[in-house]
Order: sequence, then C-alpha cells, then structure tokens
Amino acid sequence: MVIPESLGEALTTKTPRHTENYAYWYLALVPLFAVLALVEFYPLVDGIKLSLTGSSGGLSLSNYGQMLGDSAFWSAVGVSLVYTAGSTVMCVAIGLGLTFLVTQRVRGRSYFEAIYIFPLALSPIVAGVLWSPSSVWDDIQTFSHFILHQPYFNELAVGFYFPVMMLSEAWEWAPLIMLVALSIVNSQSSKVFEAAEVHGASAWQKFTMVALPGILRSPVMQFIIVLRMIDAMRAFEVPLAWANWVGYQQTVGTPVDTVSLFLYKLIFYPIYGFPIGLISAIAVSLLVVTLIVAFALIRLLGRALPISGGR
Amino acid sequence: MVMAFEGYGIDFAPLFSGKLVRQVGGVPYYSGGIFPTPIFYLDALRLGQFPKLLENTTLFAAVGIAVALAAGVIAAYALARPPIRGKGAISYLLLALRAVSPFAVVVPLYIVFTRNGLWDTYIGVGLAEDLVVLSIVVWMLRGFFTDIPKEIYEAAAVFGATEGQIFRRVALRMVIPGIVVTALFAWVLIWNDFAISDIMTGPATKSVAVGVWSGLGQLALRQVSFDDLNAGGFLAWMPAIAVMLAIRRYLAKGYSLGTASSKA
Repeated sequence: MVIPESLGEALTTKTPRHTENYAYWYLALVPLFAVLALVEFYPLVDGIKLSLTGSSGGLSLSNYGQMLGDSAFWSAVGVSLVYTAGSTVMCVAIGLGLTFLVTQRVRGRSYFEAIYIFPLALSPIVAGVLWSPSSVWDDIQTFSHFILHQPYFNELAVGFYFPVMMLSEAWEWAPLIMLVALSIVNSQSSKVFEAAEVHGASAWQKFTMVALPGILRSPVMQFIIVLRMIDAMRAFEVPLAWANWVGYQQTVGTPVDTVSLFLYKLIFYPIYGFPIGLISAIAVSLLVVTLIVAFALIRLLGRALPISGGR
Repeated sequence: MVMAFEGYGIDFAPLFSGKLVRQVGGVPYYSGGIFPTPIFYLDALRLGQFPKLLENTTLFAAVGIAVALAAGVIAAYALARPPIRGKGAISYLLLALRAVSPFAVVVPLYIVFTRNGLWDTYIGVGLAEDLVVLSIVVWMLRGFFTDIPKEIYEAAAVFGATEGQIFRRVALRMVIPGIVVTALFAWVLIWNDFAISDIMTGPATKSVAVGVWSGLGQLALRQVSFDDLNAGGFLAWMPAIAVMLAIRRYLAKGYSLGTASSKA
C-alpha cells in the first residue's frame, strides 16, 4: 500500500487496489473450503462413487437402471412435482394476502407483522403436527357437524390431506413472502399511491394495480420464490408427519412420498435392506436436477439481482 | 394459538357439540369436557426431558455456529471486497450448495462419522449442521460487508491502513451487529432443523425437534398423545419466535441470502 504524500495526491491517485496484488485473499477462503470439503464435497463424491458401484463391486450403471425401473421412484417424482407447484403457488398467494392485510393497517401495523411472522419460526416437522387431523381437523369436524349440521368428511382421503399438506407448507413460509413484499412496498414511492388515491382507487385496487406489479417484478421476490421452489422440491418434514397420520409409515409409492421421504424410508426401514447403491443413485439424481434447476433460474434472474455485487 | 391450547389439554370441540362428544380421526368419542391443565407441559419438561434436549441443541448449535463463523467471516469479506478473480463463481457455488438436499450428502456423511466416532457427538452434529447454515452464513455476512459504504474503505486506505488493518479494525468492527444477527439466524435454522439432526443425533445428542417428534415414536395414530406432542411443539416454538422477533428486520435479508434490503 502506497501512502499518498498529500491530500491532492490521495484524491488523484486511482484506487490503488488495481496495482496491488490481492491474491493473498484467496487464503481467506481456505477455512471455508476445508469445512465444505469435510461436510459437502467428500460426502458428495463418495455418494457419486457409491451410486456407480454395482453389486459385484465394479463400475456400473445398474443402480440408475434399478432407479428408473422403480415405480415407487416415479410416483415419488410425481408427488414432489405436484407438491412443489401447489405449495409454492399457495405460499405466494397467502404471502401476498398477508401483505395486503398488513398494508391496510395504519395503527398497530408492526404488531400484526410480528404475529404473522410466527409460523416462520416453527420447525417444519411441528407444522406437520399442528395441522394434523387430531390437532385441528377433528375439532373442525365436530364443530361443522354439530353446529353447522354438515356431514362428516373423510380426513384421511388423499383429496383432502394432500392439499392440507401443501397448505401447511405454504402457511409456514408465507410470512417470508410477506416480509420481502413489505420491504419492496416500503421502497416504492408514496407519491404513486397518493396519485392513485386522488384518482379514486380503492385499497384493493391500489394494492393490485400499483403495489403488486412492482412486487412481482422485483428480482429479489423472484429469487425468493425460486428458493422456495427449490426447498419445496426436497420437502420432507410435513410429508413425514402425514405419513404417520395416514398410516404410510413404511410403505413407499404412496401419495405422501416425496422424493426425500422416499429416500428417508429406504434409509431408515430395514425391510428395504438398506440398498445403498439405489439410495445414492436417487440422491445424486436429486442433486443433479436441483442444481440444474437452480442454475437455470439463477442465470435467468442473476443479471437483475444485486448479488453479483461486491466491488 | 391452537397449539398452545391443545397443549393445555383444552379442547374446543365439546363447547360446540353440546353433547361432550368429539371427533377423533372421524370417529365420535365421548369427551370429558374442558379441563385446562398444565400437566402436558410438565410432562414435556420432566418425562420428555426437555431441558436435556435444550442443552443438546444449544451445544451442537454452538459448535456449528462457531465453525461457520470462524470459516465464514473472513471468507465473506474476501468475497465482498478485495477484487479477486472468481469470487462470483465461488459465491454461486455456495448458493448452489444451499440448494443441495441434505439427503444427497447425509448417507456418506453418516458412514464417515460413524467410522470416526463423530456420530452422536456435539462436534459431529455441529459440523453436520453446517450443511444447513454455512452457505447462508457466508452469503448473509457478505451482504453486510458489501453494505459498508465504499468511502469508508477508501478513507481507511487514505489514512494508510493496510488491507489486513482495514479488515480487522474497520470492516470487522462495523459488521459486528451483522455477525450477531447472522449467528442468531443460523441458530433458528439449526434449532428447527429436523432432517439432519434426525440422522446425525443419537441418544446422547438428541435435538429438540427430534425429541418432540420421537415422543411419538412409531406408534399408530390412535395411540399418539397429541396433547404431549402439541405441548412439546409449543415449548420448542417459543424460543425460536423470540429470536425471530429480535432479528425481525433482518429476516428477509437472511432468507434471501443477503439480497433483500434490511428495511422491512
């Protein structure tokens, strides 16, 4: 580092960092990569190796063949896709609904905001407990039967519990959409809202026609939605809870089995004989698909995001 | 709210039915009525060994967060300020790791850890939890470092500070609140994590989330005590809510990996 002799020189000297060698900062990344090597890279490489090891011990693709021929696997893929799409759409809808509710409040707004955040602090496995038949739906049934004189409905029918599963997942993460949406609304110019008000826009119109386009066009919002989709693709806790409520603790290929839950059952229940090759093959495929989706979407959004930042 | 009341053994259903009948899994049962009782909370605290679970989770979360910060703070700075080549690529790599399902790595990791005696130890579980938090910690801190106005760095350089001094005396000190927020955020993620702690913890280090869930074991649905489950779940929820509210302004930033503004 050259210390400038005078103020004038300090101001005219081009930022000295272009001339300096910064390569030693790579050393700062060493501890990070050491930890990553232990907990991520090594297991990943090992998993890929296991997935390519055939029953005879040689290099083979038989595990992948077994995976592709497994109907339970394809069923899990289908469940995961529907679950991802459904829960993400619901999550965004609920999150925007909460945003609307919060922005309507003049007084006590921050208290409502705080209360709406609560689900975010919940462990996903407990979200599966909270919305379980015995915690909530039995009581709702009792109420609807005796007060509203409605007939009983079957809580354990797939047409009922699958939307409930997606809704629990959406309910838990909707506050996140709300928080991001609020930070975007707060940064929007209040003059636009005042103009809309002068023109006689209702609260709902102001929200849908003025605030909403800005929220949905925001790269940060799109990024959050993508992250939510990636997380929903590997959803595990809520389906695990529901596997217990509907009696699919050990069976695979059921409507609650997402890919992650399918893997979990293969790992945990001895009846499947711990097929390590198959488990690794599914895990690696899941990894590859997630990475491709993640990279494609980030590339798509990347330019607009402030994440390429730094200077 | 529902959960808190269920945990107290309060059941709304008899209020409405008028016949003290409630539904259990679609089958009408006679219900004794409403007897609010803290017994399920006391059970969770005593029989459910809640304090022990709390201690376990705190200890391995401390290990995980300490490792993540030790490796993450300086790395985040290196990715934020010095103009080194490839830092964009490295940042994206970390982001991609955020997308990796724990199940893609947990089986080999489990094998390695059992072989080396790390399974079911605080250090082992703490390291495994870094799967969840490490990339988030680095991205969040990176956001805090880039938020420091460039003029401050330039002023420090003008006064003759070396790069090392700028990091230690200027950037690090300015970002201390950010480090605290990041640590708390990581704590919530570890506290709520189930997938990894379920596989990596055994009897000695069982976490709160796993403890609450395994209170249920492999029993069939009708035998499960939902009052116990709800009481345990509620107890586990409270600390996480407290921490989340404390760092509420930074939540959007944390979940968006430092990209959202912190003005919520």
